[in-house]
Amino acid sequence: MSTFKEHKTIADRAASDRSRHRKKVEKAIKESIKDVVAEESIIGQSGKKKVKIPIKGIKEHQFVYGNNENNKRVGSAQGKKVQQGQRIGKANPRRGQGQGEPGKPGNKPGEEMYEIEMSLEELAEYLFSDLNLPELEKKQFKFITEEKMKRKGKRPYGIRPRLSKKETIKQKIRRKKAAIKAGSHDPESGERFPFHESDLRYKHIAPVQKENTTAVIFFVMDVSGSMTKSKKFLARSFFFLLYQFLNHKYSSVDVVFVSHTTDANEVNEEQFFTRATGGGTMASSGLQKVKDIIDKRYHPNNWNIYTFYCGDGENWGSDNDKTMDLFNELKEINQMMCYTEIGEAPDSRRLNSLSFFAEFSENSLWNRVETIMDKTFKRNRLVTHDNIWTSFKRLFGGKV
Amino acid sequence: MADWSMDELQDWDDKICELGKELGLDWYPISYEICDYKAMIGAMAYTGMPTHYRHWSYGKSFDRIQTEYDLGMQGLPYEMIINSNPSIAYLMTENPMSTHLLTMAHCVGHSDFFKNNRMFMETNAGTVIDRFKAAGKRIQKYMEDPNIGIDKVEKIIDACHTIKYQVPRTPGLKRRDHKKLKEYYKNLMMNDTTGWYNDFNIEKIPLEPDYNLLAFIREHNRFLEEWEKDVLHIIEDNSKYFVPQARTKIMNEGWAVLIHEKIIKMLDLPTDYHLAFIRLHNQVIRPHLGRVNPYHLGYKIFRHIEDKHGFQACLDARLSHSDETFIKTYLDEELCNELNLFSFAYQRREGVHRITDVSGEDTWRTIRDDLIKNVGLGSVPTVYVEKLEKDGTLILKHEHDGRDLELSEANRVFEHINVLWSGGVKFTTIIEDEIWEF
Repeated sequence: MSTFKEHKTIADRAASDRSRHRKKVEKAIKESIKDVVAEESIIGQSGKKKVKIPIKGIKEHQFVYGNNENNKRVGSAQGKKVQQGQRIGKANPRRGQGQGEPGKPGNKPGEEMYEIEMSLEELAEYLFSDLNLPELEKKQFKFITEEKMKRKGKRPYGIRPRLSKKETIKQKIRRKKAAIKAGSHDPESGERFPFHESDLRYKHIAPVQKENTTAVIFFVMDVSGSMTKSKKFLARSFFFLLYQFLNHKYSSVDVVFVSHTTDANEVNEEQFFTRATGGGTMASSGLQKVKDIIDKRYHPNNWNIYTFYCGDGENWGSDNDKTMDLFNELKEINQMMCYTEIGEAPDSRRLNSLSFFAEFSENSLWNRVETIMDKTFKRNRLVTHDNIWTSFKRLFGGKV
Repeated sequence: MADWSMDELQDWDDKICELGKELGLDWYPISYEICDYKAMIGAMAYTGMPTHYRHWSYGKSFDRIQTEYDLGMQGLPYEMIINSNPSIAYLMTENPMSTHLLTMAHCVGHSDFFKNNRMFMETNAGTVIDRFKAAGKRIQKYMEDPNIGIDKVEKIIDACHTIKYQVPRTPGLKRRDHKKLKEYYKNLMMNDTTGWYNDFNIEKIPLEPDYNLLAFIREHNRFLEEWEKDVLHIIEDNSKYFVPQARTKIMNEGWAVLIHEKIIKMLDLPTDYHLAFIRLHNQVIRPHLGRVNPYHLGYKIFRHIEDKHGFQACLDARLSHSDETFIKTYLDEELCNELNLFSFAYQRREGVHRITDVSGEDTWRTIRDDLIKNVGLGSVPTVYVEKLEKDGTLILKHEHDGRDLELSEANRVFEHINVLWSGGVKFTTIIEDEIWEF
């Protein structure tokens, strides 16, 4: 004898565990982002490229056997002909346990969410939605508003050159028709019906505020001998993030790459990130190049300009004055500027023991830019990959 | 609208129970709960256990099952029954009477198996619901304790879950803690006349390899807090309860199919019920091409036994075997060939799976043995405590049986073990014939 009863539905018992799991997924995505940001392969890629984001901690791990020749599994093929050496299923190196499912590749949707795929654009979306920065909207990233004159209807007064002949004639015809109707003018009589002062119509032009959503970003990097491959890579990761961010904010973004040693060149993206050069460093050359390009192609009234300088701080001492002048000058026309130094800060205690270095340290760009730091001029140091995301957030005022 | 009523269910159940007894079955009373599909998903996510402790992983499987169900990728099971006394089983409101009939007959088979199979003798079916409930409450209490909190509790549960199957697999062996073992060996040494124990190191820990990682850690990690030990204990208990089910999946399902088939045949159903039953039954036992369907394999073996030795032999076989011994004993050449079993393996160099053996006169034994390695807990590697060093380092070893571990997973598990063990862990295995140490 069995018993039967209605199941008592305890209000969604799983609800808390489900939301707990979802929170873990969210958190894991955010945590993984910094790894993804540092991932070499995504840098310099187009926004459509898909990246895999590994999500740690939401898969339950077990000891399992690896998928290899020694791990034989068994299937059945009742009523089918199979033979030794026959290939089955799809290549699927990830499955390591159970009976095996050669008929199925084992990638059931929704089964394991420990690796999710999103495009770079989506990633940027995700990244920057996290940086909800009201401050940023208002201050650093205000769009340039530009005054443009725009036609705004017609009016009965104005200057001679803006006389609208068409509208004026229309007015006259209107008046004439009315006069005929009223009987005050007989068209048959051949009497002239002259223009009257009140017929005149002028085109009206009024100034309107226009938001400018185009931006240009200058990436300036020191590519001198002292910038090692790993330093360059850090810079590159950082630039990538910036690019994604500004791209996310503005409808169109121009990117200008400037690399410099003792003199500067505008280069393309690939050259910027891959070309290794040697020699000394004069930061001013890069900044001068930026200034020249702005003068030529990007008028500050039309463009939101951002300049990001990346170097390792080893600048010719004698060049520092000139560099500072240029920083100051550029700061005036930039929405935001940032001086990023890559690598450890020089150990000041050690340096102080040597007067020469102490002086050098005093004179270093890192220390000198401090004097001009404000809302539009930032200073930033990158030592390891872990710093990229945090310093990025710091730069743009997010919570670190 | 449903084509059945509670009274009808009760009437049919009376008949089913009658027939079950005629077959010589002996099962726990079954308590059917009529539920909707949402509750069914809930039951599945928590392995059927209505009083299971909370953990995000169950929330994850809930969402997964629901997604698959919503996408139509998976039908919900028509049966879900718990090894408890009385056995709790679920009947889904949405199902028609014919499905309920099959389910009820099927559940009789499962409950009979739970009650009689040797592997289940220590699962204490009578108290399991209350035990789970008490454990769930304790875990809830720790989560709500302001000094502990959900994050800490989760961290321990996460870690425990990674080694939950690292428990002794054989039923009937009572665990002796270090103190008792030491007494036992001291006695042996004192009464030893053979000289075997002359060099025996009575000071080492453990005195014999310990296959119960959770218990060993609980007993020997002095830094664990009481609540942490309790969590370890709860999960060890859980494992002990679930291991028998994992070890008898093929038998258990095969047996339940055999029983429901017999009972339904004897029930003399009206034609429309009968046709619906046949359709569902065939769907349940259909062979999965390229895989092993436990319902199919188990059913086939039991039918094979019945054909050769009669139903009494089936009743006997259900008592003492696990999947491994069941297959070893009863899967013969004839059946292997009929099922057209084959072994396959991943060919790393090519990146594809290839068939290594097809059932035949010379190969069926190999295939059978390959199968045995993958049934029950065969696909779960065995890891044991070899030694606890004086400096507190825990030495773990993988019992290598020719199959190498998946290193990436092992690495993760290793990290989790380090959460549970304060004092350094060393773990060794063999990878491509070389010793590998974590």
